[in-house]
Amino acid sequence: MIGRSASVGRRASVLEQGGTGRRHRPDYWLPILSILLLVVGLIVIYSISPGLAAQKNVSDNYYVNKQLIAIVLGIVGFIVMANIPYKYWRHWSKPLLVVAGIATVVAIIMPVIPQYPAHRWVRLGSFSFQSVELLKFALIVWLAKFFAERKAQGGLGNTTETIKPLLIVLVVLGIIVGKIQSDLGSIGVIVAVMTAMAFVAGVPLKRVVMVGGVVAIGAVLLVAGSSYRRDRLATFLHPEKDCQNSGYQVCQALIAVGSGGMFGLGVGNSVQAYGYLPEAQNDSIFAILAEKFGFIGVTVLIGLFAAFFARLFKIAERAPDVYSQLLVVGILAWLSTQAIINIGAMVGLLPLKGITLPFISYGGTSLLFVTGALGMIFQISRYTSFSPSNLESEGNRYESTAHRGRDGRPHYTAVSRRPGA
Amino acid sequence: MRPNSNPIYSGRGLTALQRMRLWYVALLLVGSVLVVRLFYLQVIKHDYYSKAALASQLKQYQIEPERGVIEAHNGDGLLPIVLNEKRYTLYADPKYVVDAEKSAVAIASVIGGSSGDYIKAIKTPDTRYVILAKKLTKQQKDKIDAARKAENEKLASKRGAVFAWKGIGTQETSVRTYPQGDLAAQVLGFVNDEGIGKYGIEQALNDQLKGTPGQLKAITDAAGVPLAANKDNVVKEPVAGKRIVLTINIAMQQQLEEILKKGLDSAKSKSGGAFIMDPNTGAILAMANYPTFNPGEFYKVDDPSVFTNGTVSAPLEVGSTMKPLTAAAALDLGVVSKNQSYYDPSHFKVDGFEITNIEEDGGAGTRTIADILQLSLNTGATWLLMQMGGGEINKQARDRWFDYMTNHYQFGKKTGIEQGYEAAGTIPDPNEGYGLNLQYANTSFGQGMTATPLQMGAALSSVINGGTYYKPHLVDGYADSKGSLQDAKPTIVRSNVVKRDVGQDIQEFMEYTFSKNHVLYGFPNFQGNYTIGGKTGTAQIANPSGGYFEDKFNGTFMGFVGGNAPQYVIVTRVDEPGIGGYAGSRAAAPIFSDLASMLINNFNITPKGQ
Repeated sequence: MIGRSASVGRRASVLEQGGTGRRHRPDYWLPILSILLLVVGLIVIYSISPGLAAQKNVSDNYYVNKQLIAIVLGIVGFIVMANIPYKYWRHWSKPLLVVAGIATVVAIIMPVIPQYPAHRWVRLGSFSFQSVELLKFALIVWLAKFFAERKAQGGLGNTTETIKPLLIVLVVLGIIVGKIQSDLGSIGVIVAVMTAMAFVAGVPLKRVVMVGGVVAIGAVLLVAGSSYRRDRLATFLHPEKDCQNSGYQVCQALIAVGSGGMFGLGVGNSVQAYGYLPEAQNDSIFAILAEKFGFIGVTVLIGLFAAFFARLFKIAERAPDVYSQLLVVGILAWLSTQAIINIGAMVGLLPLKGITLPFISYGGTSLLFVTGALGMIFQISRYTSFSPSNLESEGNRYESTAHRGRDGRPHYTAVSRRPGA
Repeated sequence: MRPNSNPIYSGRGLTALQRMRLWYVALLLVGSVLVVRLFYLQVIKHDYYSKAALASQLKQYQIEPERGVIEAHNGDGLLPIVLNEKRYTLYADPKYVVDAEKSAVAIASVIGGSSGDYIKAIKTPDTRYVILAKKLTKQQKDKIDAARKAENEKLASKRGAVFAWKGIGTQETSVRTYPQGDLAAQVLGFVNDEGIGKYGIEQALNDQLKGTPGQLKAITDAAGVPLAANKDNVVKEPVAGKRIVLTINIAMQQQLEEILKKGLDSAKSKSGGAFIMDPNTGAILAMANYPTFNPGEFYKVDDPSVFTNGTVSAPLEVGSTMKPLTAAAALDLGVVSKNQSYYDPSHFKVDGFEITNIEEDGGAGTRTIADILQLSLNTGATWLLMQMGGGEINKQARDRWFDYMTNHYQFGKKTGIEQGYEAAGTIPDPNEGYGLNLQYANTSFGQGMTATPLQMGAALSSVINGGTYYKPHLVDGYADSKGSLQDAKPTIVRSNVVKRDVGQDIQEFMEYTFSKNHVLYGFPNFQGNYTIGGKTGTAQIANPSGGYFEDKFNGTFMGFVGGNAPQYVIVTRVDEPGIGGYAGSRAAAPIFSDLASMLINNFNITPKGQ
């Protein structure tokens, strides 16, 4: 308690200086760990690229080159986002949501191609992206603002003020993303993000459980209402029963993971990537990684993810205000849920959902959103306090920072300096 | 430390920090579940999944060997007559085809054909393999590859794009090609779609030609392409089939086919055959039948009878061409002598049936053995047979003649020539059956027994070459895949078929026969500068319902040509000529004459005394 009050005291003094925290050195562990994860993904893609290329009859380095371009673009996105003051997003949350909505509508009304019967893609010439990626990002930005405001008003437990809008959002997204776009995986991520943000913001557990019940009912209805999903559920429960057809990908993923053994087959020796395991560079990349590097390798990878998420937690814990804290929490929930859903599917613990593994999976758009979001967190990390903040007890601080935001930019000290260093 | 003793359940008392830590712990728990699960899959169940991986990844293939090519003589060198060419089978795996219509249109635009047919094929239910087109050329295959590549480059970056070429593949196959066109088609035979030789050399020597398949046991990709350098890979290279050099002389074969066709046309016959062999080795130098077929398009043939090499596969009653062999047997037995004369009554009664001469000059009179051949006397042949029995046809005559026909001349058994479906012909048993004496009288002039033209040619060769029966053969040598050619030595089936001087007597009689009849035989410029002789045969065609057709004949001619000695034996056959007169002399003999002239003009026959 003593430590905490000391911290609060110091924070108070910072606030008196007129800010949300002194600008200081950002958390460099964040980009370092991100780069490490990206490199792991790139190594896997590099090593399976010739095999993938042979199947598609493109040049050997096709996939590596595209991924390298995506990484470069991702770094640019990171730098750009790292330089946009995170508070601006609070004003842009509604327009962003509108853009995401438009993108979603475009994806839905765009004629689909038989190979991908789902209305998920916005295609502009040779460029295409999944509208839900934008939607997830916009939702996090909006939810952070929403919860921060409700919290400031002390209305987090209020049914009309907080729960009802959340439920409406959830139902609308459930219909659009879950039903029309058939993207239950993304719904899972969205639910996890909302739950985590609500929970951390301080929505009473009772309410969270209540919303959870509604979600569960909705999920049951969605599954029961679609033969496609019933099949997928059956496949998930007993993939070995139909390894040739609907259980094919799960069976091949388990073979890839299991045949990797303790030490793996070696970086150049994946066999499953050569046409056996669908989406080897994408949704299934974790299984290929497990095949190549074995239990030791994937444990290291999961350790890297754990360290990365721990870093995000640290930043969230020390966030300068409720809004930024919720942004970090939302992004953390988004990335961690994707990683869990993806890996869980590859080891047969969760149904296949077509969710990519952040940093590792091949593909430009998801990578761009991930690095962009991290740029935002990087920027937030410049303003963190150096001990965990307890924003709970400073419920009204949001008001003061909000009004300061409107007044103008905070007065930053010219030189970044660690106080007390 | 907080007043609320149970904050987790109420939720209210938790600070944001506590909530976050709670969540972090949950996340760590989920992470550890994943790690435990990975440990279970990768360490505990590793063997199970390794086996499962091998079961689908390790594939065993047979590597098809290249079939041996076939060459033939041409001048002093060799020319290929059958080669292999890479062709491609276009197939679909319907499981992977995204849009059958789009695929079908793409295929039709590259290799032609009806897209409707392709759609139908691709939509075949319950299969993973449908053949869409066969025997595509390398150019067509390259076009397909180019179209596929262009599509991939265009669509690879577009997620959700529909690939027309997905699930469509090509497979390399090898097909036979024939640089000499349909030359010697029936001698060669063909290779069917299953890669098995049918008819001719291809059938007879299928084992030597096909080679030994290799084995490949390899970790492959899903499409079955072996992944490089895997420790589990086992490779046994295939051994290519043997290269075969035929005894056939391409130029001679070409001319024989031309002459045969022309001769059959002028005899108004629909079918026939001819061959030329070397009497001193048994090598077949040219052999053809008509009608024939194009082996490169064997699948377009409606009537499979054109596949058969009638010269070795279709035995017939040989008719009077038998007479020189009957005379040789009698001379060899010593029951008659070369210049012996006898009284020919022009008819004999045997077993109650009259033996008469159906050919010209059949009147009674004193005859010599040379007359028997020159005038083609059935009664003369019967008389020769009688001499074998001491003056009558009896068991001794039958046994002796049977011995000559089967053991000396090798009738009634296959020669073993390298041809599919060789026929043995039939020789009646000397002691079993009814009317044996009449039957044997008939065989003395080539009826009531059957032999193939090849058997006749081989038997004549053995008589005139001094008494050695060489196995008739079409293979001059084999070469293994490394190319060293091994000459096949002529195989002697029997020595002392007849005594050397008996052979010379028969040669003389046949030369005499030819000189007497050369105008009739279509060889007007006979000057005696060459060794040339022969004997006609006109046999009534046996009616399947018994007896013989009164008006249907086969004409045959059997003879030889050379300088100081016979260098070539020729047998010609004309089925049911549509012109009058005796089929042997009017239809088959002119073909012999043309072939003899052709050989004299083009194939190293040095006139006598030079």
